[in-house]
Amino acid sequence: MKNNFLYFLGVFAALGISWAGIVLGSNAQLGNLAPYYDDNEQATFPSWMAGQAARGQLVYKDLGCVACHTQQVRRPGFGSDQERGWGDRQSVARDYIYQPFPQLGSARIGPDLANLGDRKPSAPDADDILHLLYTGGKGMPSYRFLFEKRKVGVGAQPALDALSLTGSQKPAEGWEVVPTNRATALAAYLVSLKNPYTFPEAAPVAAAKDDEVKNMNPAAPNPPPKAGIDANAEPDKTSPAMVAGGTPMASPPTPAPAGQAAASPGAPAPQQGTK
Amino acid sequence: MSNKPEYTPVDSASSCTLLFLLASALGWLVIGGVLAIVAALQLHSPAFLAHCPVFTYGRVTVMAETSFVYGWLANAGLALVLWVLGRLAGEPLRAQNWALGGTLFWNVGVTAAVVGAACGELTGFSLLGLPKFVQLILFASYIAIAIPGLLAWTGRLRQVSFASHWYGAAALFIFPWLISIVHVMLFAVPVRGVLQPIIAGWYAQCAWTLWIAPLFLCVAYYVVPKVTGKTMPSYEFASLGFWTLLFVGGLTGGRHLIGGPVPAWIPSLAVVSCALLLFHTLIVFLNLKGGVCGGTVATRFISFGLAAYILGALVDVVTSFHGIALHTQFTLFDEAQKQLALYGAATTVLFGGIYFALPRITGKAWFSGALVKAHLTLTLAGILLLLVSLVLASVTQSQELLDKNIPLGDIAGHMQVWLSGAIVAQVILLLGNVAFTANFYLTSCRILNISAPAWFATPAATETHVS
Amino acid sequence: MSEPSKKDPRLDQAASSDESVLDSHEKLLGTRPDEGARYALLPIGILFALSALILFSGTYLNRYAGHYSPAVFNETAKPSTGEVAVKVDPVAMGKTAFNAVCITCHQATGQGVPNIYPPLAGSEWVNGPSARVIRIVLYGLKGDVHVEGHVFNAAAMPVFGQVSGSAYNWSDEKIAAVLTYVRQEWGNKAGPISADDVSAARKATGDRKEESESELQTIK
Repeated sequence: MKNNFLYFLGVFAALGISWAGIVLGSNAQLGNLAPYYDDNEQATFPSWMAGQAARGQLVYKDLGCVACHTQQVRRPGFGSDQERGWGDRQSVARDYIYQPFPQLGSARIGPDLANLGDRKPSAPDADDILHLLYTGGKGMPSYRFLFEKRKVGVGAQPALDALSLTGSQKPAEGWEVVPTNRATALAAYLVSLKNPYTFPEAAPVAAAKDDEVKNMNPAAPNPPPKAGIDANAEPDKTSPAMVAGGTPMASPPTPAPAGQAAASPGAPAPQQGTK
Repeated sequence: MSNKPEYTPVDSASSCTLLFLLASALGWLVIGGVLAIVAALQLHSPAFLAHCPVFTYGRVTVMAETSFVYGWLANAGLALVLWVLGRLAGEPLRAQNWALGGTLFWNVGVTAAVVGAACGELTGFSLLGLPKFVQLILFASYIAIAIPGLLAWTGRLRQVSFASHWYGAAALFIFPWLISIVHVMLFAVPVRGVLQPIIAGWYAQCAWTLWIAPLFLCVAYYVVPKVTGKTMPSYEFASLGFWTLLFVGGLTGGRHLIGGPVPAWIPSLAVVSCALLLFHTLIVFLNLKGGVCGGTVATRFISFGLAAYILGALVDVVTSFHGIALHTQFTLFDEAQKQLALYGAATTVLFGGIYFALPRITGKAWFSGALVKAHLTLTLAGILLLLVSLVLASVTQSQELLDKNIPLGDIAGHMQVWLSGAIVAQVILLLGNVAFTANFYLTSCRILNISAPAWFATPAATETHVS
Repeated sequence: MSEPSKKDPRLDQAASSDESVLDSHEKLLGTRPDEGARYALLPIGILFALSALILFSGTYLNRYAGHYSPAVFNETAKPSTGEVAVKVDPVAMGKTAFNAVCITCHQATGQGVPNIYPPLAGSEWVNGPSARVIRIVLYGLKGDVHVEGHVFNAAAMPVFGQVSGSAYNWSDEKIAAVLTYVRQEWGNKAGPISADDVSAARKATGDRKEESESELQTIK
């Protein structure tokens, strides 16, 4: 390789090829992902992050929560993500288009947070999260610096957003613990994390072995794949879920079993002959 | 042809620049080591330093990684690449002021990155803990440091092109391109949504395969034939190995994105690219396996590093398949792979290179043989203990992650023993590095010098390897 | 300090000089002008390794790259037809729609309100021929209607389909889902209704004003 210029071109081409392939290629495919409009819901998904939630994402990034938490649910069959209640379906690219700083994460010392606001049977609310941030949990440090311990004014009421702590955490008489703006924003962000809509590309896919599944179903009406599911009407908020524990889940919402006369998977044209 | 003495005034002319780079590198190595111990302690006991926002776990890990990669690996790698290219050129390094200025600003940039991380300027991407304002500083200073190296390459007296030239020049070209692409696409005009992690993953893999690996391979390809005195076997295919690394290395970008919210072709492409990289690894093994019999300190380090590099390549392939990734993804196994590559392979080869190079830069032998042996033992022991601890921790973690009934907090509790092992390993590594740094300063500090250039034996001609 | 021995860790001796390293390796490449051009064929082992890796790569990408499509996020998806098994649950979808709108009149128990809103539980209209109940939802219903022996006339059923005069403009899938849900809830045991049936009914009838009971009873 005596010719320096040819060598330089070779190195440039090598980097250029991988850049064009992966970076430009994925940009071409995903760069213009639009939100999905659903006729039945008459709304687009995903939705923009509310202002305080967007600020909360900055706090999340600032504290480096991504070092222990992921925000991506893997497909069913790839780990226990769905069984743990971390999500109904695989996360797809469209879930992140309105996040300015996606924090996908690459380590799960703590649970996945992609659908924290939508956990079944009950999702934590902002108070639960603030409490957890103040006290820490097993394996999770406490973030006391996000809170302010201050004296309740003479003759004044405790603040509305003062944390209700018990036991050894409780502040002394006449003192209260209030969240700072950063803590409130972070809690708002975490509570806003939900992917309620199942995009067509996110629906479970028949893997290569599941030929039987299609043949078992009764005559399919061939619904177009844009039917939306919001299978979980209202989350039950009777008991707060402690996030750090990772709520083990009863059962993921399943499609109607074959016994019930339910619409079967969207079938390609050849199957209509069996109707 | 008469054989040139091993140490001549040509070498001493570059000593200032190279010693500055090496001194900075070792400083960052120690700082990174301390931060890594803090991070390991916090993983074991999350309450450690939790009250202090500067030392919150998310920030400490980034600070440790930045100091290690951009502080230690970059400085040491650049120092050795400049040294190798300079020696192969046969003349003193030119434009050294550029390198001196560049090193200064590079260290300023890395300091700003680490301090920035302590204050919360994080990016959320692995191997890219560089805040936006630091990236252009690093871009410009890297180019400044690279200038003497590129001049040494293009202006070389003997117009032959050796493997160290290819790897060294590639490392000098590629980093500025990588950092500028990432700066534009992720920070200046950020791309949308999940494209950010895709590009960040591409950057991290390119940084490893196209920047860090060429840095230490350049060193290995020079030191091994120098020490063994024989040509490398299968050298005819070395260029094939080089170009394979270059063309395929970048395509491994999606390796950690398996199962993630990215189109399936990206991780699948990464799987096949990791497999194709085995060809490069095979060629590197065939070329450098002679170094195992070298018997010197440098070749001991380099052989260990080479073994770690090969093992790392095999582990990369195996764990990129989705059947295995199911168990290893998101666990400490990823961390173990990273340590195997960055510490086990890159750092040990650079250590070997520094042991070989410093006498030839300063004209003096290392000050203390005992410190050298201590460093060697502590490094090898520390790396092995670290890897074993992390892998065993990840075994527990992966089994329990797959069980939906075990909450994550309990999993952290079950790993305590192995995490303690990791802390001990980091302490051992730090002790070794402190010994190394002390030895370095004692050697290069002229007051304490007692050894003389006459100790260098004049080398003979290279024998052709008989396979 | 004494001269270091050969294996002194303080100084690694070099066994060859820089020039000879360069020259000897260059000689291996056979590129010196005084030698004839020679190129080494890849040894059979290395050639085999390279071919095996390329074959593996091609096969793997063919199976697991999902046709390089941006809509395939699951690498184990069948590549041949690229079909997506959309497991739509119309009952769940119907329930959502019911709870959003229908529940205000027909109530969560499906019992309606006596004398005002007819019940759906056990209703002969709900469990009857699908064509009838489809048209009720599509076009609305006005006037007397007898349900389970009671007569209801107080309020008209609004128009839900994508027809003129409709305030809701529900898609055929949504109507089919709501009907499927209602026909299996509260003890009803009628079969599901498909979106195709709704579309067919809508297209066959075109635009019209609300149904009345007598008109509907003519439909089988």
